Amino acid sequence: MKGARFDQLRTFWGEFRRVKFGLVGIGLLVVFALIVLLAPLLSPFTQADQRWRDMTYWLDSPREARPMWVNWFTSKKYATTETIAAASTIETVTGSMRILEMEFPYQYTAGRPPNDLVLKMGITGRTSYELLIQRPDGKQMSYRGSTVVDGAQVLRLSVVETLASRVYAVLAPSEDPKFAASKDPQQIDPMGAMFGKAQPGIFTTPENVKGTYTVKLKLALISPESKLDSAVINIMGGVSGLLGTDGAKRDLWSGVIAGTKWALLLGLLTSLISVVVGVVYGVASGYFGGWIDALMNRIYEVFTSIPLLPILIVMSAVFKPSIWIMILIMCVFFWTGPVKTVRSIALQIKENAYIEAARGLGASHGRILFRHMVPQLVPFAFASMALSVPGAIVFEATISLIGLGDATVVTWGQILRDAFGSGAVLKGVWWWVVPPGIAIAVMGMTFAFIGFAMDTILNPKLKTR
Amino acid sequence: MYWKYVVRRLLYAALIMVVCVFVFSLLFNTVADKVLRAQIDEQVKGELTQLAKANPNMHQEQRMAIREERTARLYERFHLNESMVSRVMFRTWSSLKFDFGESMQMKSMAGSTKVNTILFERVPRTLLLFGVAAVFDIVLGVWLGLVKARRAGKTMDRSTDIVTMIVFGLPGWWLGMMLIMLFAFAIPIFPSSAMHSSPPPAQALGYFLDLMWHLALPVITLILLGFWGRAYVTRNLVLSTLQEDFIMSARARGLSERRILFGHTLRAAAPPIVTMSLLALVVSIGGALVFEGIFSWPGLGNLYWQAVQQNDVPVLMGDLTVTTALFIAALAFLDLVYGFLDPRVKVGGKA
Repeated sequence: MKGARFDQLRTFWGEFRRVKFGLVGIGLLVVFALIVLLAPLLSPFTQADQRWRDMTYWLDSPREARPMWVNWFTSKKYATTETIAAASTIETVTGSMRILEMEFPYQYTAGRPPNDLVLKMGITGRTSYELLIQRPDGKQMSYRGSTVVDGAQVLRLSVVETLASRVYAVLAPSEDPKFAASKDPQQIDPMGAMFGKAQPGIFTTPENVKGTYTVKLKLALISPESKLDSAVINIMGGVSGLLGTDGAKRDLWSGVIAGTKWALLLGLLTSLISVVVGVVYGVASGYFGGWIDALMNRIYEVFTSIPLLPILIVMSAVFKPSIWIMILIMCVFFWTGPVKTVRSIALQIKENAYIEAARGLGASHGRILFRHMVPQLVPFAFASMALSVPGAIVFEATISLIGLGDATVVTWGQILRDAFGSGAVLKGVWWWVVPPGIAIAVMGMTFAFIGFAMDTILNPKLKTR
Repeated sequence: MYWKYVVRRLLYAALIMVVCVFVFSLLFNTVADKVLRAQIDEQVKGELTQLAKANPNMHQEQRMAIREERTARLYERFHLNESMVSRVMFRTWSSLKFDFGESMQMKSMAGSTKVNTILFERVPRTLLLFGVAAVFDIVLGVWLGLVKARRAGKTMDRSTDIVTMIVFGLPGWWLGMMLIMLFAFAIPIFPSSAMHSSPPPAQALGYFLDLMWHLALPVITLILLGFWGRAYVTRNLVLSTLQEDFIMSARARGLSERRILFGHTLRAAAPPIVTMSLLALVVSIGGALVFEGIFSWPGLGNLYWQAVQQNDVPVLMGDLTVTTALFIAALAFLDLVYGFLDPRVKVGGKA
């Protein structure tokens, strides 16, 4: 019996091998499985899965930066995201105070300025500092500040957030005086102006100036225990990572990788549970017949009469389910999928002589159902499982899109929701919208290829005329 | 007798509707109560704060009395003080009467807070969007399916099969987002949202054209995704009809392939094609409701988004009931059409 079933599987595989797109599906599935297994190696932010919504984890990335490869297709290159270490450090002692002077040269060669330039420094104890940025044309803007806290802290001084008014003040004399006077300092693009030529129009249509921009940090360590732990310049580029970043500075490549796991999990789990339930239900309904069949049919019809998505939306709105509960709710409705076909197949199997023989030998109903009937439906069950995976993934994504998903996990639907919610579609931030959708589509395609391939094997008469 | 079948089917649909509404009422009873209570308390608190602002030297006891009176009256309005069984029954019965009371916050276009007004001004808009899409979808789908069946196994059939599989797991709303980015912003030829320009054109013709212009993008999205599946089903139904004995006998009589396909096969395969296409459409409407949110189409689907955002439970329940009613009605209608086209069904014999 075992050997026979193994043979059956082997013939099935033999036939499956001949359906090309089925093999493509299997190949894609292997790729997805590898992505899940190798996730820590593939994504630059290894904690993306756990800390997706932890804003502090993403502070050192640019906001809404395009994917890296955008630069291959444009002549005006975007500045890349990079970290610059100090080129020189000079320490002098004056009295009880030590003064550190550091220089960070930034070779700016891009065609478009970065999104931001940030000095990130770790400081312990009381200090006072002066940040100075010198442009190739000698103009410089500076910012002074101090720390009074005793413990260690990390400071981020951003041009966009803290130096914008200095940029305006230094460069306003170069701008057309009429315009400069009427323009609100808050409204200018500080990065464009900072990397722009000092001439009229610098605040509206800045002309890009390449060269070395030097960031100088002068740090006075006031108390004896104060020290500088680290200091780097983060260039928040216009491009970052394989798929860019979103509006909350998160690396989208890491997000898509993290979402793969959840898509596979919820898709496979939902379809596995619901197909098993559906097949057993259908077989039982066909096998028992009579009033049991009639009752089971009525129950089945009630379930198929409920529009799935609306009830899922309302249930999610009311119960705020976790991902596991959501899988359960989907199973409650997805099991009806294979029932009708299974029941009609079961009606045919039931008429076979060996079923009657088994019954004559005194086999229990359970034994006949699970040993003689259900195993025959295994190929069909696999096909309908494969075909119901995309549905489950799309449903989760849809629920997430409305904002009712499980916010503790990263799914592709959650990423799309964030994109839609912050107006990425209307702002044209395509690199935020396209990748998660493609991921859903390719995952759906994978299982469709596998499912349809099995389907053509199971219904041979549909191949040709 | 066809009319007997009609009556039986309609009664059955009504029964299913009752069961569904009862299940909804039971399922959401506790939570709906809780949300309602919390919202009522909040509302009363808000009213009191305003009252206190209006006349600051009001007595503490007086305020408490007003508060209790207001709360009691609102509790009574939503039957919150009665037993659970009676609450569920009350909710089932009023839902079946399409009486969902007043919304918590949402308003209709004219400013009414009656849930019914909010719901029913949206029903025609949803029907318009999906009706127009359905017509194109079925015509294109059946046509492509026939072409595929005629050339089954050939390159054209295979390549469209691949497209069917590619779009199989594609969320329609995502395609909608893509098309909005493409055709409303990159190449601005269609509006990105809403149903009319504001203000809508006054003339009838202008109004109609404006409506069509706004309808174009969502309908194109729906068709782009939908008709592949329709074609696939049509192709398979036609192909399995081609295996029947009467086709073989027609071939034996020397009829042309064209005649066999259109005269014999299509005639026999028409009822299931029509109903399968419509059924798939009805089911897809359930899924495509989200779609309205993407295009800000002011229909029933969009209402889910808004009601979810504002946590407006009565509107949510009303929306669910009306959508379910439409769904069940569409299924019943389909069965009636099928019974009309295929006489074997209405006799109630074994299929």
